Amino acid sequence: MSMILIWLLITVACYGAVIGTAALMTFAERKVSAAMQYRYGPNRVGPFGLLQPLADGVKFIFKEEVIPAGANPWIFKLAPILTALPAMLAIAVIPFTGVIGTFEGTEVLGSIANPEIGILYVLAVTGVGVYGAILGGWASNSKYSLLGGLRASAQMVSYELSLILAVLAVVATTGSLNLHEIVAGQSGWFGWNVFSQPLAFVLFLVCSYAETNRHPFDFAECEPELVGGFHTEYSSMKFAMFFIGEYTAMVVMACLTTTLFFGGYLVPFWADAPWWMGLIAFGAKTSFFLLLFIWVRWTLPRFRYDQLMHLGWKVLFPLALINIFVTGLVISFGPGAN
Amino acid sequence: MTKIILNGREVEADPKKPLIAACHANDAEVPHYCYHAGLTPVGSCRMCQVEVKQGEMPPRVVAACRTPVAEGMIVDTESPKAHETRRECLEFLLKNHPLDCPICDKAGECMLQDFTFDEGQAAARTDEPRRKLEKRKDLGDVIVLDQERCILCSRCVRFFDEVTGKMQLVIADRGAHSVVETFADRPLTGNYQGNVADLCPVGALTLKPFRFKARVWNLFKKASTCGECSRGCSITTEVLRGDEVKRFRPRYNADVNTWWMCDTGRFAFEHPNRADRLAGGQRRGYADSELISTEEALDQLADALGEHRAPVVIASPFLTVEEGAELLELCKQLGSEARFLSPAPNELGDEILHTGDPCPNRRGLTELGFAPVEAAEALELLAASKAALLVGERIGELVGTEGLAGLPTSLQLYVFDTNACLAPAAQLSIGVPDHTERLGTWVNVDGHRGKISAARSAPAGVRPLTSSLQTLRASIAGAEVTA
Amino acid sequence: MVVVERKELSFLERIYFPAILKGLKITMSKMFAPRFTRQYPEEPLPTNEVTRGQPRLAVNPDDTIRCVSCGLCEAACPAYAITIDGHETERFIEREPERFDIDMLRCILCGFCEEACPKDAIYMSNELELADFSRAALVYDIEKLKRPVSALQDRIDYVKKINDRWQTSSST
Ligand code: SF4
Ligand code: SF4
Ligand code: SF4
Ligand code: FES
Repeated sequence: MSMILIWLLITVACYGAVIGTAALMTFAERKVSAAMQYRYGPNRVGPFGLLQPLADGVKFIFKEEVIPAGANPWIFKLAPILTALPAMLAIAVIPFTGVIGTFEGTEVLGSIANPEIGILYVLAVTGVGVYGAILGGWASNSKYSLLGGLRASAQMVSYELSLILAVLAVVATTGSLNLHEIVAGQSGWFGWNVFSQPLAFVLFLVCSYAETNRHPFDFAECEPELVGGFHTEYSSMKFAMFFIGEYTAMVVMACLTTTLFFGGYLVPFWADAPWWMGLIAFGAKTSFFLLLFIWVRWTLPRFRYDQLMHLGWKVLFPLALINIFVTGLVISFGPGAN
Repeated sequence: MTKIILNGREVEADPKKPLIAACHANDAEVPHYCYHAGLTPVGSCRMCQVEVKQGEMPPRVVAACRTPVAEGMIVDTESPKAHETRRECLEFLLKNHPLDCPICDKAGECMLQDFTFDEGQAAARTDEPRRKLEKRKDLGDVIVLDQERCILCSRCVRFFDEVTGKMQLVIADRGAHSVVETFADRPLTGNYQGNVADLCPVGALTLKPFRFKARVWNLFKKASTCGECSRGCSITTEVLRGDEVKRFRPRYNADVNTWWMCDTGRFAFEHPNRADRLAGGQRRGYADSELISTEEALDQLADALGEHRAPVVIASPFLTVEEGAELLELCKQLGSEARFLSPAPNELGDEILHTGDPCPNRRGLTELGFAPVEAAEALELLAASKAALLVGERIGELVGTEGLAGLPTSLQLYVFDTNACLAPAAQLSIGVPDHTERLGTWVNVDGHRGKISAARSAPAGVRPLTSSLQTLRASIAGAEVTA
Repeated sequence: MVVVERKELSFLERIYFPAILKGLKITMSKMFAPRFTRQYPEEPLPTNEVTRGQPRLAVNPDDTIRCVSCGLCEAACPAYAITIDGHETERFIEREPERFDIDMLRCILCGFCEEACPKDAIYMSNELELADFSRAALVYDIEKLKRPVSALQDRIDYVKKINDRWQTSSST
């Protein structure tokens, strides 16, 4: 009984943390971009404008819902859900911290669930995210939306491949699909995977930007060409869902980067740090990657679509293949091979 | 015909007319103020000077309005010397002109403005004070005189003398003290006063009813025909912002009215500007009167007329020939006799233009085969019948609103009018455009066919009478076929 | 035909990362640079006589309006924002506007009306703010447009100075 309570508590805390972070990200995005452009950014709502996300939310709720003529209403309504849901589902297995304690003989971990195939699960559910974009684009009955949806799907499919191969290298070095074990495998001096798998890290980072449709790969919404891409026709809460989906996906990707390459909740040089220290470490590392998302967005211009495809298939994919091949060689015949 | 050489081109000139007429007839513009083709030339303004060479004499600058044409005359309207002389004249004319164009109603159609723009120098060369005279001299019901603006061309004086035959204005005093005045400050009289406001080349004479009401460049102007009497003077209808009729002005037509029109016609925009126009149909229903669309009203009218044999049909005297022809067809279909309302002659008739017969298309309708009925007769006819159709602009008003109101309700009255008919007998009224809103022809008393044209659009929902009548005929015929 | 010679990129340039890092460095350094956004409602825009704000009608100290409804501004207005109807007055200047509407939503603040006015009656004020809940409320009628001459004095002097530059000594 009380086990269920604890589990519920963790669930609520994790979801609250991630979605809260996502909301905060929309605020941070505007603040950071403003700072980079000598501006103040939102500073009217609440102290330092901190209540801006709330105000935006209220605004979205009160906006008019428009379903364009000729749109397929059911799929049109389904698409935003399909975008937001996968990112939310992925949160379930992210290890926010290590063992919190033991309760009734069971170890309580810093994640909602701890399946053996954690990373596989993440890849599987986030892979569904592309449906939101393509269905939304198709159901809108608008050429811009359709083009945006097509681009999004092509881009995600292309980059997903390299992304998975990069993750595979990590999995290979760790020898486990369980996220907690992957974290645990990165302890010790220079134990972080980013040192053993630097190329995989770079590949993963680049692909994660493409996967979340962020600059410089935001082709799906590419304002100058496609108005708003697949969500051109969306308004009100449905648009907000796309927005939430996008930012949650970002948070999840940042969490994954931390987990896979930067030792997750491990605190450097403090092997037996308490669980809350782990949580802080995890938060700090993730925050950096979140900042990086914003930072990159306001620094780099958008690619051209052919460049995007060129990069994905002719550069990243071969590199990822080589990387996994070399990793395999090293594991099989290298110094630590059995 | 005399041959002259005008600006290097040999042209034919009418020897009975002054040189300026020949210039104007051949597209050579000569500025002028006192000359008017309808009045005797006097040569007082000296604006019309052109360079003329005749025979062996050296070329000299003469006033074109006072120079008869002579065979072989060589005329140059654009020579530097002519231009210089005209510019000097203009400078003198402007010496005492108040230059209050921003206030002046004439601005935009003022000859002083136009020719100053063409010839003049923009700046005055004197700082002397200008003449101070009466700026708002009331000359009766129609005209206000601004003596400061007057350039003493005497057109107005000659108009009353020559056209109306009764001299009412005069140039009093002499030299620099000259001013235009009426005799002993009596107000102007007569039905043609308005013409002097058109005649006045500057803004000295302005029309009271138009004073400061609109800027002339904002008026949309359309050639049309006056509907106040059977003369059918050619006019322009001038409409402000597609909405309100602001002026009627005479338009030159040698066969009908030459340059003039009477004040009755000039100020006849009270009716076109009525606010209570009927836009669509009005039917007597359970809740007294209900507004419906023209189409619906026509349907109901077709049904109603199908039930009656030979209703009384009375057309408005404002009906055009085209509408008359349509209505005649309808009368044949209904088996009715075609009649039109002939309003009683009024006191306004005179020798100049007004015929005294307020029926612009009497001749056209009579020729079509309509029989005239007086209002009293019409009411008797209506009272004696079971069903009646009144057709055309202002018909209710002309038959008599009170007379119609007194008709028994056993009569089924159907009305096509600009305004709804409120009589208890009126079952259905359908809106029609008035004569500033539709196209057509009126035949005047002498058989001249005058075009009327739409200077603005009818209220939304109103259909032209011809098209309404066609629809009506078609649906009545259709009902007969199916029955 | 234009032939664009592209520079052969070195390997370092081709892998693109050094350039990205350089870019990131630039943006990060700007984050801490001083900001110069104006905090608008608290810090209103400074206006001076050159500010071309919304047109306003000058009213003399004796409460008479300067405009004589000549319609020149109406004709000059490229946005068709102005509608004027005149009427007669008892004053020495016989004419004044009965209706003078400027549709502020149409007005593009070009100042043509000010330039066209022969009576020095319409001036571009320093009023810039424009907000309301309906379109109709933003069609300003004569009462909303009237401003005492004193409020417009700076602009009036400025316009006079500019106009004098174009005037020859001999003109009236
Ligand atoms: S009032 Fe007009 S028409 Fe009469 S003399 Fe003067 S300028 Fe000529
Ligand atoms: S500023 Fe320009 S647009 Fe505005 S009312 Fe004046 S003329 Fe028209
Ligand atoms: S131009 Fe000047 S005087 Fe003329 S209507 Fe406009 S504001 Fe009035
Ligand atoms: S027009 Fe010839 S002198 Fe006036």
